[in-house]
Amino acid sequence: MNTITSFLIPLLLLAASTAAWGQHEHEHQHEHQHEHKQTHAATDATAVTGENISFTDRLTATPEIEAALANGGNAVVADVLGVVCDFCAVAMNKVFGKQEEVAAVYVDLDTKALNLVFMPGATLTDEAIASLAVQAGYRIAAVHRSDAVVTH
Amino acid sequence: MLLMLLTSAAVVGRPISYVGGWTFIEESNRQSTTALLHYTPSPSWSLGVRNEWFRDDDYAITSLQPTYLLKRWFGQDYQANVYLQGGLGLASGTSGNPLGSTGAGYAGVIADWETRRFFLGYNARYVEAGHFGDGAMQLVRMGWAPYEGDTRDLHTWLMVEVDHRPESKDPVSVTPLLRFFQGPILLELGFNIVEPTPLINFTYRF
Repeated sequence: MNTITSFLIPLLLLAASTAAWGQHEHEHQHEHQHEHKQTHAATDATAVTGENISFTDRLTATPEIEAALANGGNAVVADVLGVVCDFCAVAMNKVFGKQEEVAAVYVDLDTKALNLVFMPGATLTDEAIASLAVQAGYRIAAVHRSDAVVTH
Repeated sequence: MLLMLLTSAAVVGRPISYVGGWTFIEESNRQSTTALLHYTPSPSWSLGVRNEWFRDDDYAITSLQPTYLLKRWFGQDYQANVYLQGGLGLASGTSGNPLGSTGAGYAGVIADWETRRFFLGYNARYVEAGHFGDGAMQLVRMGWAPYEGDTRDLHTWLMVEVDHRPESKDPVSVTPLLRFFQGPILLELGFNIVEPTPLINFTYRF
Protein backbone atom coordinates (compact mmCIF):
# COMPACT_ATOMS: atom_id res chain seq x y z
CA MET A 1 0.00 0.00 0.00
CA ASN A 2 2.89 2.31 0.77
CA THR A 3 4.23 1.73 -2.73
CA ILE A 4 0.87 2.57 -4.23
CA THR A 5 0.51 5.69 -2.13
CA SER A 6 4.00 6.85 -2.98
CA PHE A 7 3.15 6.67 -6.69
CA LEU A 8 -0.43 7.91 -6.61
CA ILE A 9 0.08 11.03 -4.54
CA PRO A 10 2.75 12.48 -6.86
CA LEU A 11 0.56 11.43 -9.80
CA LEU A 12 -2.41 13.36 -8.46
CA LEU A 13 -0.26 16.40 -7.65
CA LEU A 14 1.20 16.23 -11.13
CA ALA A 15 -2.31 16.03 -12.60
CA ALA A 16 -3.54 19.04 -10.67
CA SER A 17 -0.52 21.22 -11.44
CA THR A 18 -0.37 20.24 -15.11
CA ALA A 19 -4.07 20.79 -15.61
CA ALA A 20 -3.81 24.22 -14.02
CA TRP A 21 -0.75 25.11 -16.09
CA GLY A 22 -2.28 23.73 -19.26
CA GLN A 23 -5.47 25.73 -18.69
CA HIS A 24 -3.42 28.86 -18.14
CA GLU A 25 -1.40 28.30 -21.32
CA HIS A 26 -4.59 27.57 -23.24
CA GLU A 27 -6.20 30.82 -22.15
CA HIS A 28 -2.99 32.75 -22.79
CA GLN A 29 -2.75 31.42 -26.34
CA HIS A 30 -6.38 32.23 -27.02
CA GLU A 31 -5.81 35.82 -25.99
CA HIS A 32 -3.06 36.01 -28.61
CA GLN A 33 -5.21 34.37 -31.29
CA HIS A 34 -8.03 36.74 -30.50
CA GLU A 35 -5.68 39.68 -30.98
CA HIS A 36 -4.61 38.28 -34.37
CA LYS A 37 -8.22 37.82 -35.41
CA GLN A 38 -9.12 41.33 -34.39
CA THR A 39 -6.24 42.80 -36.37
CA HIS A 40 -7.01 40.75 -39.45
CA ALA A 41 -10.72 41.47 -39.42
CA ALA A 42 -10.14 45.18 -39.01
CA THR A 43 -7.75 45.24 -41.96
CA ASP A 44 -10.14 43.39 -44.28
CA ALA A 45 -13.17 45.27 -43.11
CA THR A 46 -11.68 48.49 -44.41
CA ALA A 47 -10.98 46.93 -47.80
CA VAL A 48 -13.96 44.81 -48.75
CA THR A 49 -17.64 44.36 -48.18
CA GLY A 50 -19.30 43.34 -44.96
CA GLU A 51 -19.77 39.84 -46.31
CA ASN A 52 -16.03 39.31 -46.20
CA ILE A 53 -15.98 39.96 -42.48
CA SER A 54 -17.86 36.74 -41.92
CA PHE A 55 -15.10 34.89 -43.75
CA THR A 56 -12.33 36.55 -41.78
CA ASP A 57 -14.21 35.81 -38.62
CA ARG A 58 -13.86 32.17 -39.55
CA LEU A 59 -10.16 32.47 -40.28
CA THR A 60 -7.68 31.86 -37.48
CA ALA A 61 -4.89 34.26 -38.26
CA THR A 62 -1.63 32.85 -36.99
CA PRO A 63 1.59 34.69 -37.91
CA GLU A 64 2.15 32.17 -40.76
CA ILE A 65 -1.38 32.71 -42.07
CA GLU A 66 -0.97 36.50 -41.84
CA ALA A 67 2.35 36.37 -43.69
CA ALA A 68 0.92 34.21 -46.48
CA LEU A 69 -2.07 36.54 -46.84
CA ALA A 70 0.22 39.55 -46.95
CA ASN A 71 2.10 37.78 -49.74
CA GLY A 72 -1.06 37.78 -51.85
CA GLY A 73 -2.45 34.27 -51.34
CA ASN A 74 -6.14 33.48 -51.22
CA ALA A 75 -7.53 31.83 -48.12
CA VAL A 76 -9.83 28.88 -47.53
CA VAL A 77 -11.47 27.84 -44.32
CA ALA A 78 -12.84 24.31 -44.31
CA ASP A 79 -15.08 22.91 -41.58
CA VAL A 80 -13.68 19.54 -40.59
CA LEU A 81 -15.46 16.64 -38.93
CA GLY A 82 -13.66 14.53 -36.38
CA VAL A 83 -10.80 16.79 -35.35
CA VAL A 84 -10.69 16.33 -31.60
CA CYS A 85 -7.01 16.20 -30.70
CA ASP A 86 -3.56 17.48 -31.55
CA PHE A 87 -2.73 14.32 -33.54
CA CYS A 88 -5.58 15.35 -35.84
CA ALA A 89 -4.05 18.79 -36.28
CA VAL A 90 -0.60 17.33 -36.88
CA ALA A 91 -1.98 14.99 -39.55
CA MET A 92 -3.77 17.77 -41.41
CA ASN A 93 -0.77 20.10 -41.14
CA LYS A 94 1.54 17.39 -42.52
CA VAL A 95 -0.69 16.40 -45.44
CA PHE A 96 -1.62 19.93 -46.53
CA GLY A 97 1.80 21.38 -45.73
CA LYS A 98 3.35 19.09 -48.37
CA GLN A 99 1.23 20.56 -51.17
CA GLU A 100 3.12 23.04 -53.32
CA GLU A 101 -0.04 25.16 -53.69
CA VAL A 102 -0.23 25.73 -49.93
CA ALA A 103 1.68 28.62 -48.37
CA ALA A 104 0.30 28.29 -44.83
CA VAL A 105 -1.89 25.82 -42.97
CA TYR A 106 -3.36 25.83 -39.49
CA VAL A 107 -5.92 23.51 -37.94
CA ASP A 108 -7.91 25.21 -35.19
CA LEU A 109 -9.38 22.69 -32.75
CA ASP A 110 -11.60 25.35 -31.17
CA THR A 111 -13.32 26.27 -34.43
CA LYS A 112 -12.91 22.76 -35.90
CA ALA A 113 -11.55 24.37 -39.03
CA LEU A 114 -8.73 23.86 -41.47
CA ASN A 115 -7.25 27.24 -42.40
CA LEU A 116 -5.36 27.37 -45.68
CA VAL A 117 -3.64 30.17 -47.55
CA PHE A 118 -2.41 29.38 -51.04
CA MET A 119 0.65 30.55 -52.87
CA PRO A 120 -0.09 33.65 -54.98
CA GLY A 121 -2.03 32.55 -58.06
CA ALA A 122 -2.45 28.97 -56.83
CA THR A 123 -5.42 27.12 -55.37
CA LEU A 124 -6.84 23.69 -54.59
CA THR A 125 -10.33 22.67 -55.64
CA ASP A 126 -12.92 21.72 -53.05
CA GLU A 127 -12.61 18.13 -54.26
CA ALA A 128 -8.83 18.17 -53.83
CA ILE A 129 -9.18 19.57 -50.32
CA ALA A 130 -11.71 16.88 -49.45
CA SER A 131 -9.45 14.17 -50.87
CA LEU A 132 -6.43 15.41 -48.91
CA ALA A 133 -8.50 15.53 -45.73
CA VAL A 134 -9.39 11.87 -46.26
CA GLN A 135 -5.68 11.08 -46.59
CA ALA A 136 -5.19 12.76 -43.22
CA GLY A 137 -8.02 10.64 -41.79
CA TYR A 138 -10.78 13.24 -41.62
CA ARG A 139 -13.75 14.58 -43.55
CA ILE A 140 -14.57 18.05 -44.84
CA ALA A 141 -18.09 19.31 -44.11
CA ALA A 142 -17.91 22.66 -45.93
CA VAL A 143 -15.39 24.91 -47.69
CA HIS A 144 -15.47 28.71 -47.44
CA ARG A 145 -13.35 30.78 -49.80
CA SER A 146 -12.19 34.34 -49.37
CA ASP A 147 -11.96 35.07 -53.10
CA ALA A 148 -15.48 33.73 -53.67
CA VAL A 149 -16.86 36.08 -51.05
CA VAL A 150 -14.97 39.06 -52.43
CA THR A 151 -16.54 38.64 -55.89
CA HIS A 152 -20.08 38.88 -54.51
CA MET B 1 3.52 -22.02 -18.96
CA LEU B 2 0.53 -19.90 -19.75
CA LEU B 3 0.99 -16.47 -21.10
CA MET B 4 -0.21 -13.52 -19.18
CA LEU B 5 -0.76 -11.35 -22.07
CA LEU B 6 -0.93 -8.21 -23.70
CA THR B 7 -0.77 -4.54 -23.80
CA SER B 8 -3.09 -1.73 -24.59
CA ALA B 9 -1.19 -0.64 -27.68
CA ALA B 10 -4.04 0.52 -29.80
CA VAL B 11 -5.91 2.35 -27.09
CA VAL B 12 -2.97 4.64 -26.44
CA GLY B 13 -2.85 6.44 -29.77
CA ARG B 14 -4.65 5.94 -33.01
CA PRO B 15 -3.13 2.89 -34.67
CA ILE B 16 -3.43 4.43 -38.14
CA SER B 17 -1.84 7.77 -38.95
CA TYR B 18 -2.11 10.05 -41.98
CA VAL B 19 -0.99 8.75 -45.37
CA GLY B 20 2.81 8.75 -45.43
CA GLY B 21 3.07 9.11 -41.66
CA TRP B 22 5.24 7.13 -39.27
CA THR B 23 4.48 6.52 -35.61
CA PHE B 24 6.75 5.25 -32.85
CA ILE B 25 5.08 3.83 -29.76
CA GLU B 26 6.66 2.63 -26.53
CA GLU B 27 4.56 1.04 -23.83
CA SER B 28 5.29 -0.50 -20.47
CA ASN B 29 2.57 -1.92 -18.27
CA ARG B 30 2.22 -4.52 -15.54
CA GLN B 31 3.16 -7.39 -17.85
CA SER B 32 5.23 -6.30 -20.79
CA THR B 33 7.30 -3.67 -22.50
CA THR B 34 6.59 -2.93 -26.15
CA ALA B 35 8.19 -1.00 -28.97
CA LEU B 36 6.22 -0.47 -32.18
CA LEU B 37 7.06 1.44 -35.34
CA HIS B 38 4.28 1.69 -37.90
CA TYR B 39 3.80 3.28 -41.30
CA THR B 40 0.49 4.33 -42.86
CA PRO B 41 0.32 3.85 -46.64
CA SER B 42 -3.45 4.33 -46.87
CA PRO B 43 -6.17 6.02 -44.78
CA SER B 44 -7.59 2.58 -43.97
CA TRP B 45 -4.57 0.56 -42.86
CA SER B 46 -1.10 0.66 -41.38
CA LEU B 47 1.76 -1.78 -41.11
CA GLY B 48 4.12 -1.96 -38.17
CA VAL B 49 7.05 -3.83 -36.70
CA ARG B 50 6.47 -4.70 -33.07
CA ASN B 51 8.61 -6.14 -30.32
CA GLU B 52 6.90 -7.06 -27.07
CA TRP B 53 8.92 -8.34 -24.12
CA PHE B 54 7.05 -10.26 -21.43
CA ARG B 55 9.34 -9.45 -18.57
CA ASP B 56 8.28 -12.07 -16.02
CA ASP B 57 7.98 -14.90 -18.53
CA ASP B 58 11.33 -14.30 -20.20
CA TYR B 59 10.31 -14.22 -23.81
CA ALA B 60 9.53 -11.68 -26.49
CA ILE B 61 7.39 -11.62 -29.62
CA THR B 62 8.73 -9.84 -32.67
CA SER B 63 6.02 -9.44 -35.28
CA LEU B 64 4.76 -7.71 -38.37
CA GLN B 65 1.53 -6.00 -37.39
CA PRO B 66 -1.12 -4.84 -39.88
CA THR B 67 -4.04 -2.73 -38.64
CA TYR B 68 -7.21 -2.20 -40.64
CA LEU B 69 -9.73 0.55 -40.08
CA LEU B 70 -13.05 -1.24 -40.23
CA LYS B 71 -15.26 1.79 -39.66
CA ARG B 72 -14.87 5.43 -38.68
CA TRP B 73 -17.70 7.72 -37.60
CA PHE B 74 -17.27 11.48 -37.82
CA GLY B 75 -19.17 14.19 -36.09
CA GLN B 76 -18.62 17.85 -35.51
CA ASP B 77 -17.50 17.14 -31.95
CA TYR B 78 -16.50 13.50 -31.94
CA GLN B 79 -14.78 10.71 -33.74
CA ALA B 80 -15.25 6.98 -33.26
CA ASN B 81 -13.32 4.09 -34.77
CA VAL B 82 -13.32 0.33 -34.98
CA TYR B 83 -10.07 -1.34 -35.99
CA LEU B 84 -9.01 -4.92 -36.62
CA GLN B 85 -5.45 -5.73 -35.72
CA GLY B 86 -3.28 -8.80 -36.14
CA GLY B 87 0.29 -9.89 -36.17
CA LEU B 88 2.54 -12.73 -37.24
CA GLY B 89 6.06 -13.26 -36.03
CA LEU B 90 8.46 -15.11 -33.82
CA ALA B 91 8.35 -15.72 -30.08
CA SER B 92 11.83 -16.14 -28.58
CA GLY B 93 13.12 -16.83 -25.10
CA THR B 94 15.01 -14.06 -23.33
CA SER B 95 17.34 -13.94 -20.34
CA GLY B 96 18.55 -17.50 -20.89
CA ASN B 97 15.07 -18.99 -21.34
CA PRO B 98 15.79 -22.47 -22.82
CA LEU B 99 12.51 -22.71 -24.73
CA GLY B 100 14.10 -21.37 -27.91
CA SER B 101 11.90 -19.83 -30.59
CA THR B 102 8.57 -20.57 -32.21
CA GLY B 103 6.02 -18.95 -34.49
CA ALA B 104 3.50 -16.59 -32.88
CA GLY B 105 0.42 -14.74 -33.95
CA TYR B 106 -2.30 -12.58 -32.52
CA ALA B 107 -5.58 -10.95 -33.52
CA GLY B 108 -7.72 -8.36 -31.89
CA VAL B 109 -10.27 -5.61 -32.13
CA ILE B 110 -9.95 -2.01 -31.00
CA ALA B 111 -12.72 0.54 -30.61
CA ASP B 112 -12.67 4.12 -29.41
CA TRP B 113 -14.92 7.12 -29.12
CA GLU B 114 -13.45 10.50 -28.38
CA THR B 115 -14.44 14.12 -27.98
CA ARG B 116 -12.24 16.93 -26.70
CA ARG B 117 -13.51 16.21 -23.18
CA PHE B 118 -14.25 12.51 -23.01
CA PHE B 119 -12.60 9.32 -24.15
CA LEU B 120 -13.81 5.74 -24.16
CA GLY B 121 -11.76 2.89 -25.56
CA TYR B 122 -11.94 -0.88 -25.73
CA ASN B 123 -9.36 -3.40 -26.80
CA ALA B 124 -9.48 -7.20 -26.95
CA ARG B 125 -6.79 -9.53 -28.20
CA TYR B 126 -5.94 -13.21 -28.40
CA VAL B 127 -2.38 -14.46 -28.76
CA GLU B 128 -1.05 -17.84 -29.78
CA ALA B 129 2.65 -18.33 -29.15
CA GLY B 130 3.29 -22.06 -29.58
CA HIS B 131 5.04 -23.71 -26.65
CA PHE B 132 5.19 -20.39 -24.82
CA GLY B 133 1.42 -20.64 -24.47
CA ASP B 134 -1.64 -18.68 -25.43
CA GLY B 135 -3.96 -16.21 -23.80
CA ALA B 136 -6.48 -13.44 -24.16
CA MET B 137 -7.14 -10.08 -22.63
CA GLN B 138 -9.55 -7.20 -22.83
CA LEU B 139 -9.47 -3.73 -21.43
CA VAL B 140 -11.59 -0.63 -21.14
CA ARG B 141 -10.21 2.84 -20.80
CA MET B 142 -12.15 5.96 -19.80
CA GLY B 143 -10.80 9.49 -19.87
CA TRP B 144 -11.75 13.05 -19.04
CA ALA B 145 -9.98 16.27 -19.96
CA PRO B 146 -10.30 19.01 -17.34
CA TYR B 147 -10.05 21.66 -20.08
CA GLU B 148 -10.28 21.75 -23.88
CA GLY B 149 -6.80 22.36 -25.20
CA ASP B 150 -6.52 24.09 -28.54
CA THR B 151 -3.98 23.33 -31.26
CA ARG B 152 -0.39 23.25 -29.94
CA ASP B 153 -1.59 23.56 -26.34
CA LEU B 154 -0.61 21.04 -23.73
CA HIS B 155 -3.58 18.65 -23.49
CA THR B 156 -4.07 16.90 -20.16
CA TRP B 157 -6.28 13.89 -19.57
CA LEU B 158 -7.20 12.02 -16.43
CA MET B 159 -7.80 8.39 -17.33
CA VAL B 160 -8.48 5.04 -15.80
CA GLU B 161 -7.81 1.70 -17.42
CA VAL B 162 -9.43 -1.55 -16.31
CA ASP B 163 -7.92 -4.68 -17.79
CA HIS B 164 -9.05 -8.30 -17.64
CA ARG B 165 -6.44 -11.03 -18.11
CA PRO B 166 -8.06 -14.35 -17.16
CA GLU B 167 -4.76 -16.23 -16.74
CA SER B 168 -3.22 -13.62 -14.49
CA LYS B 169 -2.88 -13.98 -10.72
CA ASP B 170 -5.00 -10.84 -10.50
CA PRO B 171 -7.40 -11.27 -13.42
CA VAL B 172 -8.79 -7.74 -13.16
CA SER B 173 -6.64 -4.72 -12.45
CA VAL B 174 -7.06 -0.96 -12.44
CA THR B 175 -4.58 1.65 -13.60
CA PRO B 176 -5.26 5.36 -13.07
CA LEU B 177 -3.09 7.40 -15.40
CA LEU B 178 -2.33 10.84 -16.74
CA ARG B 179 -2.11 11.56 -20.44
CA PHE B 180 -0.10 14.54 -21.65
CA PHE B 181 -0.50 15.43 -25.27
CA GLN B 182 1.12 18.17 -27.30
CA GLY B 183 1.64 18.29 -31.05
CA PRO B 184 3.10 14.97 -32.22
CA ILE B 185 4.04 13.76 -28.72
CA LEU B 186 1.92 11.80 -26.27
CA LEU B 187 3.11 10.68 -22.84
CA GLU B 188 1.17 8.61 -20.33
CA LEU B 189 2.14 7.98 -16.72
CA GLY B 190 0.15 5.71 -14.49
CA PHE B 191 0.31 3.16 -11.75
CA ASN B 192 -1.48 -0.18 -11.49
CA ILE B 193 -3.08 -0.27 -8.05
CA VAL B 194 -3.82 -4.02 -8.05
CA GLU B 195 -0.45 -5.28 -9.20
CA PRO B 196 1.78 -2.38 -8.16
CA THR B 197 3.56 -1.52 -11.39
CA PRO B 198 4.13 1.77 -13.19
CA LEU B 199 2.60 2.37 -16.60
CA ILE B 200 4.72 4.44 -18.99
CA ASN B 201 3.56 4.99 -22.56
CA PHE B 202 5.09 7.26 -25.17
CA THR B 203 4.01 7.99 -28.73
CA TYR B 204 5.70 10.14 -31.35
CA ARG B 205 4.12 10.73 -34.73
CA PHE B 206 6.17 11.99 -37.65
